[in-house]
Amino acid sequence: MVGHIKLAGFIVTLLVIFLPSFTLAQDFSFSVSPAEVHIDNLPPGEAAEFELTIHNKEEIAHNFTIATFQPPEEERREGRAEFPDDRWMSFSSQEIEVAANSKANVTVTVAIPREQQWAGGGWEIWLGVAAESSDLLAVRLYSRLLVSTTPAMEARSNAGLVAGIVGGIVLLGCGGYYYFRRKTKTE
Amino acid sequence: MKAVITSLVVAIILAFIFSLPALAQESGTITITMIGVNEISISLDKTQWPLGEVAADTEYPTSPPIEWCTLTVEGNCNVNTFIVGEDAEWIDNPGAYKWTLSNDGTNGENMYGLRFRISGDTARGYVPITKTEGEFWPYGGGSSLAPGDTKQFGLKLLTPTYFVGGRQMQAQITISAVAA
Repeated sequence: MVGHIKLAGFIVTLLVIFLPSFTLAQDFSFSVSPAEVHIDNLPPGEAAEFELTIHNKEEIAHNFTIATFQPPEEERREGRAEFPDDRWMSFSSQEIEVAANSKANVTVTVAIPREQQWAGGGWEIWLGVAAESSDLLAVRLYSRLLVSTTPAMEARSNAGLVAGIVGGIVLLGCGGYYYFRRKTKTE
Repeated sequence: MKAVITSLVVAIILAFIFSLPALAQESGTITITMIGVNEISISLDKTQWPLGEVAADTEYPTSPPIEWCTLTVEGNCNVNTFIVGEDAEWIDNPGAYKWTLSNDGTNGENMYGLRFRISGDTARGYVPITKTEGEFWPYGGGSSLAPGDTKQFGLKLLTPTYFVGGRQMQAQITISAVAA
């Protein structure tokens, strides 16, 4: 039976074309910068943005797509965890046409939800840029994005600051009250 | 009474004057750092492989076998490189028929294998291309590629043991790079 299937396959193959392309093979080159971005001390509930530049080094215009990619643990920078949710990332455009020998910018926004559980985080996610193509070989360039959020300790130090202000008001109030009282008595 | 109110107002004002710098510091500075003036780039001197008609259960190496395409590291940072493949789809009706890419370079019915070999990579020889990103140039020992480095490589296609004939199939192999 197997032999029969193999024979049948062999007979029909003369009509099959795999990965065809009759145009001339050509060099293809583009670049992405920055290759690595660090966003530090981003408080939960706030957002940060930066520009990703795509440089099309070809003589013709190309469409480029931008997408996030979760790298495996062994590829991440030391101490970095998986980015919790790639929906926190947004791009001014996920697809952009870049003219020949030109550069174009895409604005990348990182917005961390307000929940305190995201405080003190240190994550990594990659931004992949690829040129749209139907060729067999394609190139994708990744920009590493490392995001760290303000530590949870800060929330406690804010509470301490507020308590200090309240205490200060009370002490100053008492001091002022006694000062004015003594002044009034003296008069 | 007047003394109480005056004292409170003065106390509040003073407390806020002294706490403002601290509050400003607590609001935090978000720093965005772009490491160096770094630009990542790799280029390939070939992106197409005109194979034409193929037979079942047959190996097709590129010509020359392992110096067919040249990858050049451009930009100004060292890179780690990866390679990933995908199922080959029928161009006329991609959802209706495909060849599944095997995960070990072997073949089967409607399953094909892809391998690559880098010139100079004597340790690994031909390496299967799978649907999961794998190392292109092995960088595990700290041997990432530097700007100006070039690597020549070739591909080998192993067609399915059986497939439906007369259909034009298409797939894509993606070579990617990230700052080392």
